[in-house]
Amino acid sequence: MLKKILLLIFLVFSVSLFSQGNDSIIFLENQNPFLDFKLTGSDIPNDGGGGIQINWCFPDSLGNWFLTVLRRDDSNNIMVVATDLLVSSMQVRDVSSDEEPSRVKDNSNYYYTGILSKNMISEEFLNRLISNGSGYSKNGVYIFGNDTFYVTGETDPIVSKSSWFNLSRIPVLVSLIIIAFVFLYYLNLAKSGKDLYIRKINGLDAVEEAVGRSTEMGKPIMYILGIGYVTDIPTIAGLTILGRVAKKVADYETRILVPSYDPVVMTTAQEVVKEAFTEAGRPDLYNKNDIMYITQDQFGYAAGVDGMMMREKPGAVFLQGLFFAESLILAETGHSIGAIQISGTTETAQLPFFVAACDYTLIGEEMMAASVYLQKEPMMLGSIAAEDLLKVFIMFLIITGFVLSVLGYGLKIEVLKNVFDWLIKLLQV
Amino acid sequence: MAVSTNFWIWIAALLTLAIYSFLYKDNPFYKFAEYLLVGISIGYGISVYWHNTIITKVFNPLVYDKNFLVLIPLILGLLMFSRFFKNVAYLSRIPIAFVVGAGTGLSVPSSFEFLFKQIYATMPLKLDIGSLIIVVGVISTLVYFFFSLEHKGFVGEVSKAGITFIMVAFGAAFGYTIMARVSLFIGRIQFLLSDWLGIIK
Amino acid sequence: MLKGKGIPIFITFLVGMIMIISFFIPHKPFGDIEKISLNWYSIIAGFTMLLGVDSLIGMHFRKVKRKDENWFFSLVLIFGFVATVVVGIVETVRFGTAFDDKSYFTYIYNYFIVPLQATMFSLLAFFIASAAYRAFRARNFDATLLLITAIIVMLGRVPLGEQISPYLPKFTEWIMQVPQMAAKRGIGLGISLGALGVSIRIILGIERSYLS
Repeated sequence: MLKKILLLIFLVFSVSLFSQGNDSIIFLENQNPFLDFKLTGSDIPNDGGGGIQINWCFPDSLGNWFLTVLRRDDSNNIMVVATDLLVSSMQVRDVSSDEEPSRVKDNSNYYYTGILSKNMISEEFLNRLISNGSGYSKNGVYIFGNDTFYVTGETDPIVSKSSWFNLSRIPVLVSLIIIAFVFLYYLNLAKSGKDLYIRKINGLDAVEEAVGRSTEMGKPIMYILGIGYVTDIPTIAGLTILGRVAKKVADYETRILVPSYDPVVMTTAQEVVKEAFTEAGRPDLYNKNDIMYITQDQFGYAAGVDGMMMREKPGAVFLQGLFFAESLILAETGHSIGAIQISGTTETAQLPFFVAACDYTLIGEEMMAASVYLQKEPMMLGSIAAEDLLKVFIMFLIITGFVLSVLGYGLKIEVLKNVFDWLIKLLQV
Repeated sequence: MAVSTNFWIWIAALLTLAIYSFLYKDNPFYKFAEYLLVGISIGYGISVYWHNTIITKVFNPLVYDKNFLVLIPLILGLLMFSRFFKNVAYLSRIPIAFVVGAGTGLSVPSSFEFLFKQIYATMPLKLDIGSLIIVVGVISTLVYFFFSLEHKGFVGEVSKAGITFIMVAFGAAFGYTIMARVSLFIGRIQFLLSDWLGIIK
Repeated sequence: MLKGKGIPIFITFLVGMIMIISFFIPHKPFGDIEKISLNWYSIIAGFTMLLGVDSLIGMHFRKVKRKDENWFFSLVLIFGFVATVVVGIVETVRFGTAFDDKSYFTYIYNYFIVPLQATMFSLLAFFIASAAYRAFRARNFDATLLLITAIIVMLGRVPLGEQISPYLPKFTEWIMQVPQMAAKRGIGLGISLGALGVSIRIILGIERSYLS
């Protein structure tokens, strides 16, 4: 019996010894052939902190090797930043994210080391290497199983900082200031009583006709704001046009229906219509229930509005705001009930359908200028003139770019080539 | 394969047919499907809002993370309820003013970024006839959007060229979408014939 | 004082300016301001949703009460709403979350909402055809141009186009890359200028129709 137990202990012992021997880590000192391979790190500039970028250069022979990057902090905690990066990628970013908000803390020291390997790193090796903190040797070579791993030297302490100004956005800041001045200049000009012109916009001259015809037929007007939120500019533009249209509706003493997709849009639309009716001197005609909520489901909204069109049979349908796939469902139904349709959106993918299905379509900027056109207040006209001046500037820039490119690259005039490259760089925000 | 015996598939199939009946004309079946979709989707929406907003964005941050910043939108949200009471209804303008301010404020820098990107993309990085046409197209389209000049004479001609470019672009987008829409319809027919009736595999 | 437009206009101005300035400041809390404000919007919208439900359900409730035309369908709508909310609550109690795979709430989504949405979406196959037919009959220059380009691009993207002429797919590609792209950029530039105009008019309080 004792013999058997001894034999068993011997067996277990030898097996465990054998298995441990097979994947033990062998350390070789002073034999690292890649001492020139170094990591460098720096704070990522122009960010809100919590980010360090690590770079490295590599000899061609290491191009398809793998690199694992480790981070150490002042209290010797070791973290794996990334495993098995291709050496040829030359860069990795260690950044705090939503999942790990405090991965890299600002204003603390971090030290980075890399592990080079020909094959992907074994997880077991990595775990065992860092299991006793920072005790592994820098610039050492480890053999584990059939693989050899080369640990690089450690970087100097790197500190992540949060910037107070994003330097890469200077071109935007400069143009913002210039544009602010252009706007202010025109607003002042308008204030001083200078007459400003606005060209004819077909769809908007039809507003009066559309509202008038609906009234004659005893039909309501329907105003659809699409499926945007109040934070979307097209929706805001749609709401401002709604104000002008509602005023005409009040003048004609007819009804306006505004089925809404977003509850905040509905609430805002109620304010807009109420204000317009009050301004027109007919607050008594305002009915809160005509500006109703449908649903926040895109096609549920389309189904609901379609049904409402079929039953209320509006004489005029306005589609002004942010539209996606439901655009044509709404516009075709509106057409089928014989309503005059005036549409407008900034979604270039939906504009073709509006053009095909509606009587008038406001394209992009026309829609955003529509509220100005319908009101024609000097200050508002001033802002439109400012937009136009900026257009001239943009055209000038594009033409200059084209000429520079032809002369610089086509006719190989070195100076102009450089100017063109500089211009291109400036535009890359 | 045979006709489906799954109760839920039958529901989905009958609702599908009810919606298609709209193509003939407005009828009680479509009305039923339409009102049901609106009712259910708003019920679903309320549940999603409850889960995503009230619990995830208000309750959890406030109770567990002690993030009292959430009180600001909470108060703004509650101010919306002032609309239920006529004499304080004007208070709902505050949240409206807030969201409109946020929307317009955020759009200023993002419009700039977009503007820069569009100009950058128009720059002729390689010299060929295509680049020239793009430059001409972009400029004439921009001229079409000129508001403070009458579209007469030279400006009128360029603006006409602009609208021609715009129509070609719209036609292209139209043609590009047709097949995608047809395939949506094919998808529904497949559901009816295969999942429901079991006629095709 | 609160009743006037002054305070709301000031709030819009202040919030708008903070948003613009924060674009240039990556430092906390400015760097996250876009994310934060969108988060806040959804919280405000979440509460406003009750106003929406009050508006919709209230309207249909009145229709049922008055026995208006289509009152029966209004009843269907109210039933759909109540049933979904009740199922949502019951299943939350049963599974901990209503969005569990086995919950009836998920069934409602998969077998009511999804097919209804998909079918509404697929109606576009018919509407796109009728819209094209209308463009075909319009017989003005713009509509004809739109239709011809649409036909070329459509054919260029299906195998039939390749059979008609091997140049057709290439020509389609060229249309998409050159004239289409040019107009799209021109429209895009106009839109960003227009958006700037709208934003500046509102932030400076020149446009204030959204407040009553």
